[in-house]
Amino acid sequence: MRKKQWLYYLPYILWIILFVLAPVALIVYQSFFDINGQATLANYATYFQSGTYLKMTLNSLWYAFLITLITLLFSYPTAYWLHQTKHKQLWLLLIILPTWINLLLKAYAFIGIFSQDGAINHFLGWFGIGPQQILFTNFSFLVVATYIEIPFMILPIFNSLEELNPSLVNASRDLGASNWQTFTKVILPLTMAGVKAGIQAIFIPSLSLFMLTRLIGGNRVITLGTAIEEHFLTTMNWGMGSTIGVVLIVAMGLIMLMTGEQKAKKKVTNK
Amino acid sequence: MQQPMVEFKNVIKEYDDVQILKGIDIALEKGKFYTLLGPSGCGKTTILRIIAGFTNASAGNVLFEGQKINDLPANKRQVNTVFQDYALFPHLNVFENVAFGLNLRKVKKAVIQAKVIEALKLVRLAGYENREISELSGGQQQRVAIARALANEPKVLLLDEPLSALDMKLRKDMQYELRDLQQRLGITFLFVTHDQEEALAMSDEIFVMNEGRVLQSGSPVDIYDEPINHFVADFIGESNILPGKMVADYQVEMVGKQFECADAGMKPNEAVEVVLRPEDLDIVAVDQGQLVVTVDTQLFRGDYYEITAYDADQNRWLIHSTNPTQDGQQVGLFFEPEDVHIMRFGESEEDFDARLESYEEED
Amino acid sequence: MKKVKWQNVWLVGIFILLYAPIFYLIFYSFSSGDNMNGFRSFTWANYQALFVDKRMIEIVLQTLLIAILSSLCATIVGTFGALGIYETKHRRVRNMVLALNNILMVSPDVIIGASFLIFFTFLGLGLGFGSVLLSHIAFSIPIVVLMILPKLNEMRPALVDAARDLGATDWQVLSKVILPYISSGIFAGFFMAFTYSLDDFAVTFFVTGNGFETLSVEIYSRARQGISLEINALSALMFVFSLILVAGYYLLNQRNQAQKARRKRKAGA
Repeated sequence: MRKKQWLYYLPYILWIILFVLAPVALIVYQSFFDINGQATLANYATYFQSGTYLKMTLNSLWYAFLITLITLLFSYPTAYWLHQTKHKQLWLLLIILPTWINLLLKAYAFIGIFSQDGAINHFLGWFGIGPQQILFTNFSFLVVATYIEIPFMILPIFNSLEELNPSLVNASRDLGASNWQTFTKVILPLTMAGVKAGIQAIFIPSLSLFMLTRLIGGNRVITLGTAIEEHFLTTMNWGMGSTIGVVLIVAMGLIMLMTGEQKAKKKVTNK
Repeated sequence: MQQPMVEFKNVIKEYDDVQILKGIDIALEKGKFYTLLGPSGCGKTTILRIIAGFTNASAGNVLFEGQKINDLPANKRQVNTVFQDYALFPHLNVFENVAFGLNLRKVKKAVIQAKVIEALKLVRLAGYENREISELSGGQQQRVAIARALANEPKVLLLDEPLSALDMKLRKDMQYELRDLQQRLGITFLFVTHDQEEALAMSDEIFVMNEGRVLQSGSPVDIYDEPINHFVADFIGESNILPGKMVADYQVEMVGKQFECADAGMKPNEAVEVVLRPEDLDIVAVDQGQLVVTVDTQLFRGDYYEITAYDADQNRWLIHSTNPTQDGQQVGLFFEPEDVHIMRFGESEEDFDARLESYEEED
Repeated sequence: MKKVKWQNVWLVGIFILLYAPIFYLIFYSFSSGDNMNGFRSFTWANYQALFVDKRMIEIVLQTLLIAILSSLCATIVGTFGALGIYETKHRRVRNMVLALNNILMVSPDVIIGASFLIFFTFLGLGLGFGSVLLSHIAFSIPIVVLMILPKLNEMRPALVDAARDLGATDWQVLSKVILPYISSGIFAGFFMAFTYSLDDFAVTFFVTGNGFETLSVEIYSRARQGISLEINALSALMFVFSLILVAGYYLLNQRNQAQKARRKRKAGA
């Protein structure tokens, strides 16, 4: 009886071995080979010795940090007030809806909006400060990345607010706390799990958004993701690409550790 | 003796080195209503699960009509269970739930139809076939769960605290109904509960359990009147339990006085515990009482007054009386020798029975 | 009280920001110009161009085919995976499998894409339809598992006991009790897998090679070449498609919940 059941789980176990363990192992393995297929530590040496790679990594981390921070600043109040509205589930659905729209199309929209004669420059024109170069700047990259990530931050925060027992808020008021005190001493600490989940859902992908840097950032911002794509698909230096990949995996592990064990909750993850 | 339906021979159950059942020997005869009674965690539900086949005994034998069934899977056993939270399938309606077991056995549609209707009639839910489970009240769900188990025509029906989720009134009604159902069907019921009133009201025989052991078994009256130890006396009904000393046969000393009692067969001057049920204590005038106590508080319980009083040595006495008294008043307490029940320390059920026989023969 | 509620102003602002780019795109899909700077005149021309664009239609069909096949396979494998995790009583093994399950959920797409590319090359598999399909199945499995597990965990173990008690074999317990119980989770998992597949760009971009393209990859290459209002028309259609998809899913869920609520009310009365 037990033996037969194993057969059902076999595809899943095979999946874990072939598509979870093997690829990670392979990317680590590949990082020890140079472009000619020779085993070497040179990729790591290059990464740590040439200033370019380290600077690029720091740059990528910095932008990921900025994107996460800006997103958080927009998302928390939104989630908080959204949670107080009537028909909140409907409004939440409207927040999530844009995430169902293909990422590429949203990026594409900004190419139009930010272009030399686009909507923003028209708008600036009324104030006599246009036209400006907006597309292909660091600024445009930040705006579009934030735009794309906002729903993924609102959702976990909203969920953590939903889980918050309303009696706790009443209890806090009852014990004499002002609205602000209730917020800082009760609500915020109890929704940190949602904030952490949101940070996780945004910081890691922000390190690897390569197509945004190409379409919107005009290659001014190079993220870890851009570098990996470049090495794998353009220069065909898989070894170096894998090395950066390993760095990205390590960074991901660190962030997971810092934001704590995330429970598998019902949330739309950032893909 | 008739072949028992279910028999446990020294059944032991361990989870992670903890013994949940410490050697259970019980036998369930055909057509009787049995109750496993004990506080939560005493192992009563484990016994049920072993009989149903959801879990296996770690040691010992489980027999069904004389056949060893230790390793028989649950779906091959002629027992069915009514679960504590009913475990009705939420995706099926009432009819489909009751027909579940019959459908699995590929019984003919017409037969299923007839049997389901009959089972529902049995639990007084005729006409509810097409209802969804979520449309039913707790009591109705309870009945569906019973009908579902009965539709499979088990030889033994296991009931795992089935009434605990119902409110008081409904629970009382269901007690009558279950008892009635069992007598009409003539099959063996094994009922698990921690509610002593339920057990006393319904059972032919009760097994009182604590910490993985059956402490005492017997008819409700026997267990109520003759608890063998402090735990049973305390768990079943309310009681005044006082330390005492057997001065001689039929003579016990407690609270500094000697009283006549109905027990014998103990060592001279053996330390014992004395049980007096609150309803056996009569309030009389001070000069007529065997004891004098001072009333402390009294609570009106509807059909009686529950009176707490203290004697001169500050022993607490619980008295059930149909008439009220006054707080702070001195009253006398009167009881008959047969109201005084003596419990020896550490006496097992067999020793107890043997001792009872020995002096009852003498008389 | 005529006070302006600042939180409502904020919320409206956020909604405008979220939807403006999307409607901007759709708005210009009806413009007769050739860029998104200033609306010329109303036209269906962009849509007409889209419908005669054989290459585009082929790519749309391929994308849908990949999405349907991959989500179906992922749902089957994921359902049994979730059952396996649920049945695993050993807590450490269970947590380990769950952690492995979630690796692909948190991994950046670039890592998934790059590592799959190495994997396929290592196996000597050609890149194309097969590699894209396998990749989509692979990254959809964990979400299916995550949608089903909570359903399994909320199922009372007594239900399984009850089925066995009534004579069900292992297979009957699965097909008559467990699967119907978790069907909403399976459905949600399938839906998520389907949208993951439709949305994916990065992974596909790595493992697609030449000759096979999905919609995302096509949009990327066209967008790099600049603005073409045919893309706007496409995005309008995709927006409507997503809307229908989400609305359909939402309504289905809503209807189930409404039914439950109604029954509860009745039972309470």
